[in-house]
Amino acid sequence: MSDVNITINGHPAQVPDGITILEAAKRLGVEIPTLCHHPALQDIGACRLCVVEVSGRREVQPACVFPVSDKLVIQTETPKTAAMRRFALEMLFSERSHYCMYCEMSGDCELQSLAYRYGLDRSAYPVPHEHLPVDATRQYFIMDHNRCILCRRCIRACGELAGNFTLGLKARGAKTIISADMDAPLGESSCVACGTCLQVCPTGALIDIKSVYGGRDFQVSRVKSSCSRCSVGCAIDVVTRSERALRVEGDWEGSNRGILCVSGRFESLNDPRERLTSPMVRERGELAPVSWEKAMDAAVDLIRSAGSGGLAARITGGATDETLDEFLRLFRDRLGITPDAAEAPFAAADLPDSASLADFDDADCILIVGADPLKSHRVAGYRIRMAQRRGAMLLIASDLDDSSNGFRKTGLARTSVEDGIRACLESEKPIVVVGAKANRTETRRLTALESHAQFLLLDSAANGAYLRRLGMRNSKNGAGKKTAYLLLSEASQDGAMAKASNGVQSLILHASYAGPLTERADVALPAPLGFESEGHFTNCEGERVRINRAVPPPEGMMSEREVLSHLASRL
Amino acid sequence: MILASHPEGEAMSKIKIATDWLGGCSGCHMSLLDIDERLLNLLELVELTSSPITDLKQPPEEGVTAGILEGAVNTTVNIETAKRMRERSQYLIALGDCAVFGGIVTMRNAFSLTELLERAYVDAESVVEGKVPESKELGKLIHRACPVNQIVDVDVYLPGCPPPADAIHHALSELLEGRMPAMTGDHLRYD
Repeated sequence: MSDVNITINGHPAQVPDGITILEAAKRLGVEIPTLCHHPALQDIGACRLCVVEVSGRREVQPACVFPVSDKLVIQTETPKTAAMRRFALEMLFSERSHYCMYCEMSGDCELQSLAYRYGLDRSAYPVPHEHLPVDATRQYFIMDHNRCILCRRCIRACGELAGNFTLGLKARGAKTIISADMDAPLGESSCVACGTCLQVCPTGALIDIKSVYGGRDFQVSRVKSSCSRCSVGCAIDVVTRSERALRVEGDWEGSNRGILCVSGRFESLNDPRERLTSPMVRERGELAPVSWEKAMDAAVDLIRSAGSGGLAARITGGATDETLDEFLRLFRDRLGITPDAAEAPFAAADLPDSASLADFDDADCILIVGADPLKSHRVAGYRIRMAQRRGAMLLIASDLDDSSNGFRKTGLARTSVEDGIRACLESEKPIVVVGAKANRTETRRLTALESHAQFLLLDSAANGAYLRRLGMRNSKNGAGKKTAYLLLSEASQDGAMAKASNGVQSLILHASYAGPLTERADVALPAPLGFESEGHFTNCEGERVRINRAVPPPEGMMSEREVLSHLASRL
Repeated sequence: MILASHPEGEAMSKIKIATDWLGGCSGCHMSLLDIDERLLNLLELVELTSSPITDLKQPPEEGVTAGILEGAVNTTVNIETAKRMRERSQYLIALGDCAVFGGIVTMRNAFSLTELLERAYVDAESVVEGKVPESKELGKLIHRACPVNQIVDVDVYLPGCPPPADAIHHALSELLEGRMPAMTGDHLRYD
């Protein structure tokens, strides 16, 4: 695009033709106040805070949607722009309740900060008295319509970022209100509780319940880390204060582009399970807290008495590279057994993992085989949905019944793998999304696309890619063994996991939470949570991402690696 | 506009200030006291004729230079108080979010008066055999609580919950210097 000459606040400058005045001002270091604008969202010119004076136009124009053209003369700070901005703010304050003294956002609120800037020291209009509903039907957040200024950021985030299109507007004029699915409480709507709307709301209309009144921006710390709830490995900011984790926010700079899912944003900090806080050994039928020393002695005794023939070791793919390495050093190198992966096997080990989330931006055909990204790798699912929205062909191929698949529920029919492969071959930029439910026959057939398509492999464990690299399988090596060492971290202990340790005489459980397996464990070793740990894992894009410690583990906690290396030194 | 002229060396006549409160929590008056030791200097220049925290409660009939009102207009008595202060003040200052915007007191506007009184005096969890008070000494709640400027004209707005002591000090100092105060920067607060 060619450059044009503009004059902004008396300074001549060259900027690309057609960019908005706001964008041009940003590039030139000129600040223009905004309210409905958000860098991650499409601009709609709704709030009129960014109005500027433009040559040839009698009235002020919104900078966020007005394109620059040659010889355009722009004034960003004049008595007229100040008066118009003040007027826009007075109108916003003339509706609903914007009393700061009992608002959670006071101090971080964009509306408040603009009102300070434009010196609003009185009500220009009679104070409003309508009371709008507060939607508290969601478990982790509240929508208070009384604080809403209808900037529509939440609507745009819901559609443009999460691809969910739950939020919209209801009614007209002063009665306009944000609405889910035309008119449903959020908790009964198609809302997926990804919380992206919370992260863009400029006022106190959308409130995170856990971190409410927990601290203002200047009081909290942000620790950059990666979400280890699934193998998408979203970049996150863990917001902490006084060694407590308040909330998780998506990192706008990450490949997830600020978007998280309900699991990463909320469930990670609201796990209802009971923590294991002390090492425990079963004595006279009861698990009783003991010192690390004593617990490790007991574990070492069990491991020794089992011998390498009678020992099974199993580790969750949610563990970091470092923990996995240490685990292999102990059990494979030192004790000579073949450790297992705790999660379901992945039959796609020999497919290339070449796609990144960004590749979905220009993919024209997406074939999903044996994966349910909208349930298990949601942020990838949202990106796929956006690609579909943009016009990419989306195909779900499976030989099995997959009617519960999130995409099937949107009305997408199932195709055969053969048809899927054919569609990919006829496309320019196809991506094949393969999940752990794909069977060997299916993955073998998909190798036909190796040179034509990109592959996104969605392992069932966060660090599944590293497990595959290490050649670890879920091969039931543990069956019929005397003693099992189970390192589960935060992984669930129900169903398949409990079954896997059936038949062993003694169980050493190394986990963050109590669960069905603690009932059977002879030795229980507590493990810190992801937020309390450091390390790396390899995400589904093949990127090695870093987990940083956001809060310290409880007193007396030892990292998984430390425990493993202590055990190694005793064996 | 000039409230006090004090040529060098000449004994200065004090300007008179009166305060009163409407539907408020008295927090703004606490903030006034938070001016701390600067109050002593201020009282060299200012005479506090009356206030809820002094013996004399009502502003003198001959009037004051500045009248200060805390709280939203919530009852018929508040209307009376606000009108009296307006009549007797050269400059009327609305002190705090409730006086300026209506504030926390206006939360009640979402409910009917019956709902409101029953909830507070009868249904509240802490109440045993409650009764809505009806004494003539109490004002009647007006239909909707509102900021002071919806009842009488206000000259100076000093928002904040409570307004920072510095802002109050700044406003009084500006008046003493003969300027109309305007709250900007750290002096302008809504919480």
